[in-house]
Amino acid sequence: MALFPVSSNFEGDFVLQLVAVDTEDTMDQVAAAAAVHSVGRRVRARPGSIMRVRRQGEEDFFPRTLKVSESGLKPTETIEIVWEAPKH
Amino acid sequence: MALLNRMDWYDIARTTNWSAKYVTEDELFPTKLAGDFGLPQDAWEKYDEPYKQTYPEYVKVQRDKDAGAYSVKAALERSRIFENSDPGWKSVMKAHYGAIARGEYAAASAEARMMRFSKAPGMRNMSTLGCLDEVRHAQMQLYFPHEHVSKDRQMDWAFKAYDTNEWAMIAARHFFDDIMMTRDAISVSIMLTFSFETGFTNMQFLGLAADAAESGDHTFANLISSIQTDESRHAQIGGPALKILIANGKKAEAQKRVDIAVWGAWKLFSVLTGPIMDYYTPLEHRKQSFKEFMEEWIVAQFERALTDMGLDLPWYWETFLEDLGNTHHGMHMGSYFWRPTVWWNPAAGVTPDERDWLEQKYPGWNDTWGQCWDVIIDNVVDGNMAMAYPETLPMVCNMCQLPILGTPGKKWNVKDYPLEYNGRLYHFGSEVDRWVFEQEPERYAGHLSIVDRFLAGMIQPMDLSGALKYMDIAPGESGDDAHNYAWAEVYRALRATKKAG
Repeated sequence: MALFPVSSNFEGDFVLQLVAVDTEDTMDQVAAAAAVHSVGRRVRARPGSIMRVRRQGEEDFFPRTLKVSESGLKPTETIEIVWEAPKH
Repeated sequence: MALLNRMDWYDIARTTNWSAKYVTEDELFPTKLAGDFGLPQDAWEKYDEPYKQTYPEYVKVQRDKDAGAYSVKAALERSRIFENSDPGWKSVMKAHYGAIARGEYAAASAEARMMRFSKAPGMRNMSTLGCLDEVRHAQMQLYFPHEHVSKDRQMDWAFKAYDTNEWAMIAARHFFDDIMMTRDAISVSIMLTFSFETGFTNMQFLGLAADAAESGDHTFANLISSIQTDESRHAQIGGPALKILIANGKKAEAQKRVDIAVWGAWKLFSVLTGPIMDYYTPLEHRKQSFKEFMEEWIVAQFERALTDMGLDLPWYWETFLEDLGNTHHGMHMGSYFWRPTVWWNPAAGVTPDERDWLEQKYPGWNDTWGQCWDVIIDNVVDGNMAMAYPETLPMVCNMCQLPILGTPGKKWNVKDYPLEYNGRLYHFGSEVDRWVFEQEPERYAGHLSIVDRFLAGMIQPMDLSGALKYMDIAPGESGDDAHNYAWAEVYRALRATKKAG
């Protein structure tokens, strides 16, 4: 349990933002923490979509239940939070 | 007694190099201050300044010019131009004075370094006059806003800004420290006068003078027109130095200094001048868009200045041209959204008419920047103000110290340019910012950005109140919407019409 700063690059937003998460947070919790600073402020919510997290520049998302402490992310490293359309 | 014509004695009078007997040349011109380009003193004696002026001429001309600017101010002091001007225009003045006035005084110190330590006698003469210019510019740009301090606390930032850790000031100081306060005399001539002044400030003053006259602010228009004529003279100090470096096989060193300074200047202008021209200046007074202005006054002229000199365009020129249509929109959105942390009141500049103008000048604006503004506007119209402010810090670039940003909305393209150096993770806003760092990492590595300071616990409490305290933004000085959100009424009316229809 420790505070862990990340740099949030949220899909549709214009700026990277400092977001504090916890090393025990899952990637879904990280996405939710990042959304606080973008969704409803400068980015419209997308009901039904889920937010996925990946390391900047990578194609693959982190598993949604992966903890920050297991991700290999470095403090302040930039993550992308990208909308994933619901699967039908 | 008959006086000789200037050109009959100028060259003799300014040939002031001599062979030192009591000290070595290195002691007379220490390389850290004079510049270490490995050129003998006589190479610098070929320096030929294009603009020759003597001290008596300088005093006569400047006295007349200053008298003109001061008398316009005196005549208009009771005119209530300030009180009656558009709040967006007041913000232009506040941003300009805060970012520039004390920087002029710092520039006097940089000119003084050229005046004392340059090995080129002609440069020493021009810098003497340049130093006097900068002292006068600092004095005028502190004296002129002072009459407004009692009416508006934010005007006090004309003097105060440089003493604070306000984020935009950290950015301005970082840039000016790099190009003029910590460089040798020759590098100052290249980075401050050739790159920053020829490339940018000359034009900032031209563009702003036009906007000021359009806005009816003749005091400000006269002041900055007067300053601009000095800038256009002392901006020429660097050119002959570049010619000497190139003629002596030092083009690569010269080019690198130009490339570093031009990029830093561009970033600073994108946050200072871009929002002013495209968002703060009332729509009916806008002469050109920021992009048009940059393309006409800076790109075209500066390209010519570079190639005339025998230099290449900076390696990142294509990126720069592309950024002309993007970066300043982000800098505006950033300074607007984080408005409590600036010393002026940003004008949103996004009424339907203004958006039409932006779309026309920057095709695609509505699909990109407009997407974010739609959300901000809805929050303001709904009175949901908590969501129209930030609750965290933007990440800032470890080179330009400005937010790391890119294009939002449907063409989302935002990217960090990270670099690990000696175990520390640095963040940059562009490939060019990172490249500047890589040229001389030890020069920059120890600096802490505002975000680094926050994470190091230097800002307490770790919230907006702590940030404002750290930035020395006192009550009454914190920025908010320039028009107190009056522009949102148009959107409310549109909604009502839509509902009724």
